[in-house]
Amino acid sequence: MTGTMTRPTVSPFLEPGLHTKPRSLAILQLSRDNLLPIYLQEASGEHDGYAEGAVVNTRYGSFPHSTMLNVPWGSQIRASKVDTGSRGRKRKRGPKDEASRDDAEENQPETTDNNTNATEATGVKQAVADDSGFIHVLPPTPELWTQSLPHRTQVVYTPDYSYILHRIRARPGSTIIEAGAGSGSFTHASVRAVYNGYPSSAEDRKGKVFSFEYHEERYHKMKKELTDHNLDGLVHLTHRDVYNGGFLIDGKSPEADAIFLDLPKPWEALPHLSRRKPQTEAKEGEEWTSPLNPKRAVHICTFSPCIEQVTRTVSAMRRLGWVDIDMVEIANRKLHTIRDRVGLHYQTDRGVNVSPHDVEEALERLTEIEERVREQAARPRGGEDGAEDADTAMKNGDDAAKKDGDKTSTAEQPPYQTPWVDGRLITKGEPEIKTHTSYLVFAVLPREWTEEDEAAAFAKYPCGKEKAVVGSIDKQTRKKERREQLQKIGDRKARRKERAEKIAEAVE
Amino acid sequence: MHHSVIKPNSWVALKLPSGVTRVIQVTPNTSISLGKYGTFPANLILERPYYLTFEVQDKLPEDSFSRLRVVPPSELYADVFAEEDAECANPAAGPGSNNDAVIATAAGEEFSLVDAESGNVIARSTQEVIDENARQKLTQAEIEELKRDGTNAGKDVIAKLLLSHAALDQKTSFSLSKYKLLKTKKYIRRFQVLPIDVPTFSNWQLEERDASKILDIRAEMMGLVGCWGNVHYGGEDVFLEDPKATTEQGEEALAPLQEDLLAGRWLVVDDTGGLLVAAMAERMGVLYKEDDDETEEAAEEEDEETTEKADEETEQKLESETTSQKDTEMADEPTSETTTLARHPKRPRDNKPRDSDFAVPFSQTNTITVLHGASQPNLSFLNYWNFDVTAPQHPPHPLLNHLLTLSWLQLLKPELDTSYSTPPLTADPETLSTWKPSRRGNFHRKRRRYARVRHMVDSTRAGNFSGLVCASTMDPISILKHALPLLAGGAPVAIYSPSLEPLAILADCFSVARRTAWNSGHVAEIQGKTAEELEKWEGSEQFPLNPTLLLGTSIQTSRARRWQVLPGRTHPLMTERGGADGFIFTGWRAKPAEGKIAAKGKFKRRKVEETVSTPASA
Repeated sequence: MTGTMTRPTVSPFLEPGLHTKPRSLAILQLSRDNLLPIYLQEASGEHDGYAEGAVVNTRYGSFPHSTMLNVPWGSQIRASKVDTGSRGRKRKRGPKDEASRDDAEENQPETTDNNTNATEATGVKQAVADDSGFIHVLPPTPELWTQSLPHRTQVVYTPDYSYILHRIRARPGSTIIEAGAGSGSFTHASVRAVYNGYPSSAEDRKGKVFSFEYHEERYHKMKKELTDHNLDGLVHLTHRDVYNGGFLIDGKSPEADAIFLDLPKPWEALPHLSRRKPQTEAKEGEEWTSPLNPKRAVHICTFSPCIEQVTRTVSAMRRLGWVDIDMVEIANRKLHTIRDRVGLHYQTDRGVNVSPHDVEEALERLTEIEERVREQAARPRGGEDGAEDADTAMKNGDDAAKKDGDKTSTAEQPPYQTPWVDGRLITKGEPEIKTHTSYLVFAVLPREWTEEDEAAAFAKYPCGKEKAVVGSIDKQTRKKERREQLQKIGDRKARRKERAEKIAEAVE
Repeated sequence: MHHSVIKPNSWVALKLPSGVTRVIQVTPNTSISLGKYGTFPANLILERPYYLTFEVQDKLPEDSFSRLRVVPPSELYADVFAEEDAECANPAAGPGSNNDAVIATAAGEEFSLVDAESGNVIARSTQEVIDENARQKLTQAEIEELKRDGTNAGKDVIAKLLLSHAALDQKTSFSLSKYKLLKTKKYIRRFQVLPIDVPTFSNWQLEERDASKILDIRAEMMGLVGCWGNVHYGGEDVFLEDPKATTEQGEEALAPLQEDLLAGRWLVVDDTGGLLVAAMAERMGVLYKEDDDETEEAAEEEDEETTEKADEETEQKLESETTSQKDTEMADEPTSETTTLARHPKRPRDNKPRDSDFAVPFSQTNTITVLHGASQPNLSFLNYWNFDVTAPQHPPHPLLNHLLTLSWLQLLKPELDTSYSTPPLTADPETLSTWKPSRRGNFHRKRRRYARVRHMVDSTRAGNFSGLVCASTMDPISILKHALPLLAGGAPVAIYSPSLEPLAILADCFSVARRTAWNSGHVAEIQGKTAEELEKWEGSEQFPLNPTLLLGTSIQTSRARRWQVLPGRTHPLMTERGGADGFIFTGWRAKPAEGKIAAKGKFKRRKVEETVSTPASA
C-alpha cells in the first residue's frame, strides 16, 4: 500500500468522512433492500479485462470504481457504458464454469476480484455515462453491514442488538466480551457503541470488544474482515472454545463491563464469568483470575433460540449470584406505506382495484345498468323466451356499462396521471415477518463487597448526624416542613423586597 | 462515569419489593425514608456498590438508626433453589439431565389432584384469593401489631401469616408460592439501589411517572433510534483557537468558522424533555462526569463543598415544590429553576489565563445540536445527570462543551434573532475598570453569549451533520424540509413518533411513484432549477419534500415481550404496558445526480431473490 500513515486509519464505520476514499469499504444500494458491500479501488490500468479498471456489474448497469471514488457519500451514481461482452471471451474458463458464471452475471451483482494481475498500463479508459441505470453509494454502518454481510451463521439483527446494547449499558469506553463472533454483525454494532478513540499504546485503555470464536474458518474470515475495516485496535478476536478455555487474554483479565453470549450452552461458559473462583472448577490451589471488571457491576445478555436453553441458563445464573434476571423476546415489524386505489374511475393498472369505492359509486353504476336493461327490454324482439331475454339483456347492459365507463374515464382523465396522490394512504406489514429470533436473558452481577470495604465506607460516612428526611415522610413531619418553608419563603421575599428598595434608592 | 459506587449527591433509583421505584438524590447526612419498608441513614449507601440488595434491619438498642445488611443472592433465590433441589431429589427425575420434562409432568399431576375437570383449576385458585381473609386466622389488628414490633426485616410477619393460614395445606405448591410472594412483597424490608442511567430513568418515567412527557418512548425504540441514527462517539475533541479578543473589539474579532474541522455532529429535535438528548449523550460518551480513581480525590473535595450547600439546596427545591403545588412526597422532579448545580458561584480558580470573551467553548466534534421550537430548549430531565442547560455558570460537565442549542428562528432567520444580530458591546479597559463589578460581569456575559450564539448558528447553518434524530410533536415533514439540507451525504435519519400516521404521511413523500415522477421530468414546477435549489426545495402541494433526498426510507416498530422464568412456570407475562406503540422512520440522505435520470430497463414484476455476495477485497 502506498502512503505512510502515522496513526491507524480510522474505520469507515466510525468516521467515514464526507467523501468516498480508495481502499475503503462502501455499501452500494442497488435497490431498496439490495445492498452490496465493496472495497473501492483506484483504477491503475486495465483490470480483469475492463479498460476502466475495476467494475461492479449489476442488473442495474455497470459501475466502474472510478465513478464512485472521491464523491460525497450518498451520491447517486449513473451507470457507465462498459464493454462486458468482449472481455468474457478473452478469459480462459472451463465450459462448466462459464455456464454457471454467465447465469450468475445475468441475475446477480458481481464484483470483480483482484486475482488477475492488473496491467500497469497508464491508459485507463474514462468511463462513459450510460442512458439509464443508477445506484447509490453509502457509508458503512453496522445496520447496513448487518443487511449486506456474508452470512456464516445466523445473524443478530438490528432490532435485537440495538435493544441488547442499550440494556447491557455498552457505552463509549466500555469493555465487552462477545462469544461467539459468528458473522460479525453484533461485533460491528458493539464496537461502535464502545468506541471512544483508538488506543495510542498498549497501556492506553479505551473502549474495546473482546470477541471469541471457536470455529476456525469463521475465525480467519472474521479476522480478515476486521483488518479490512480498520477495526484491529478496537476488536481483539481470539480463536477459542470458551466452555473450556474461559475468557482470559494471555492469562490477563480483559476486565469486562458487559458480556454478550451467543452460544448454544451459555451455562457452560458462565462459571468462567465469576468474581471468585467457581466451585465447579476442578483444579485446586491454582491462581484464578476473573475476566470481569472488579470495580463495576457487570451486565450480561445471553441469546438463545430455545426455551430449554433459557431455563438452564437462568438456573445457572441464579446459582452464580447474578441478579435482576429478566428474559424478553423482541418482535419487530416493518411497515410499508402504499396508496390504496379503489374506484371505478381508475384505469386497470397494477395495484388498482377497479370496483366501486363507496356505496354511492356502486349505486350510480347499478342504476346505469338497470336503465340499460330496461332500454333493451323495451326494444321489440320476436320469437324468444322472456326470461332468457332478461338475462342476456342484463349481461349486455353490464358490458355496455363497462365499455361506457371505460370511455368516460379515459375522457375525464388528465393527460398525465398522479398516482402518488391518488387513493388512500395505508400501511401494510411485510409479506413475511420474523416471529422469533431468540430469547434474550439479561442479568447483572454486582461488584464484590467485603466486610473490609463496608467498614471503610462506614468510617468515611459515619451515621447518626442525620439532619433531614428524604423520601416518604409521614403527614405530620410533612406539614411541619411545609410550614417552615413557607415561613422561610416569606422571610426571603421580605429580604428581596428590602434589597430591591435599596437598589432603587441607590439608583436615584 | 460507569457507576462503580454510589457517589454523594447523585440521583439514584431505589427499587422496592412492591416493584415501585423511588428516585431520590442521596444527600450525605440525611435519612432516607421508604415508608412502610423502613428508614435508614443515606450515609449507609454512600460509596457502596450499585445493584446490591439491602435489608433494613431492626434498630439495635445502642443505635439511633437502622443498619443495613447486604442480602446475598443465595437468600434472594432461596425459594427457587429449594424447589430445584426438591426436583433433583425426586427419584422420578433423571440424573439431572432433562429437568424440563420432569417439571412439566409434575405440574400436570398437581393440577389433576386439585380437580380433574379442566378449567376448574383457575376457578379454584381465584376463589382462594377471595377467601383469603376468611382463612387467615390472624385479624387485621394482630397483623398491624406484628408489623409494628415486627422484627427480622418483616420476615417474622410473613412467617406468622403463612403459619396461621388455615387452608395452607390445601393450597397447591404453586398457589402457596404465589401467596408467599404476595406477602413477601408487602412486608419484606428490602430495597435495591440502581444508578440513574438512561434505561433506568426512562423505564421509571414510562412505568411510574408521566409516559406522555417522554412521548411513550420504550427502551426498544430508544435502542432503535440510537442505532439507526448511527449515534456514536464522534471523534476526539477539537477546539478553535481563542481569538484573544480584547474588550474593545467587536464582531470582527470572532473566531472564524473552520468547516473542515466540524465532524461527528448530530442534529436533534427533542420533545421528550431532554431524555432523547440524554440517550444520545450517553451513546456519545458525554453524559457522565468522569469519576475514575484518578479523579476521585478531586471529586471528594467538590463533594464537601456541595455538602455544605445541601441544606440550601433542599430548601430551594422544597420551595419550588410548594409554589408549584406539587406532591411533596418525593423530591424527584428538579425543575430548571431549582437546579442545585446552578448555584456554584465559587469555581476552583486555576492558574490558567482566562479565556477571552470570544473564545468558542464548544468542541468542533462529537457534538449534539438541539433545535427547539420555544425560545428556550426544554431539557429539564438532564438535571438528573446534574446538568442544567439554563445555568449561567455551570460546574464542569461534559455536556457543556458538546451540547449546542438553537431555536428554529435562529436557524432559519438569524437576522430576526436579537442575540444573534445585535452587535457585541465594546468598551476600552479604562472605562471598564470604572464600572461596578456587576455591570462588568454583565458586559462580559453578554459578549460571551454573543460569541456562543454566533458559533452555534453559523456552525449549524454550515451543515454536513452526521445524522438527524427526532422525537418530536412537530410535523416531521416540516422538520425534514429544513433539516435535510443540513445533513451530509449518506447521513442517517431516524425519526421516532408515538403514532404511525405522521410517519406514514412522511414516508409517502418519498414513495417510488413520487421519485419516478420527479426524475422523469414531468413535474413542471422543478424545471430549470439547479441542484442546489432542489436541495432546498420549499415544497409544493404534490411534492411536500424533494423525494430524491432520502434513500431507503422505512418504518418499523419493536416490542419486547417479557417472560417469567421459574422452574415449571415459564411463560410470558400476563399483562404489559399498552398505550402508544411507537414507530420509527429511517432513511439515508442522498445526493441525487444532476439532470434527468432513469432506472434501467422495463421492470417486470417478479420476485427478486436476496443476493448475498462476498465483497472483493482490496
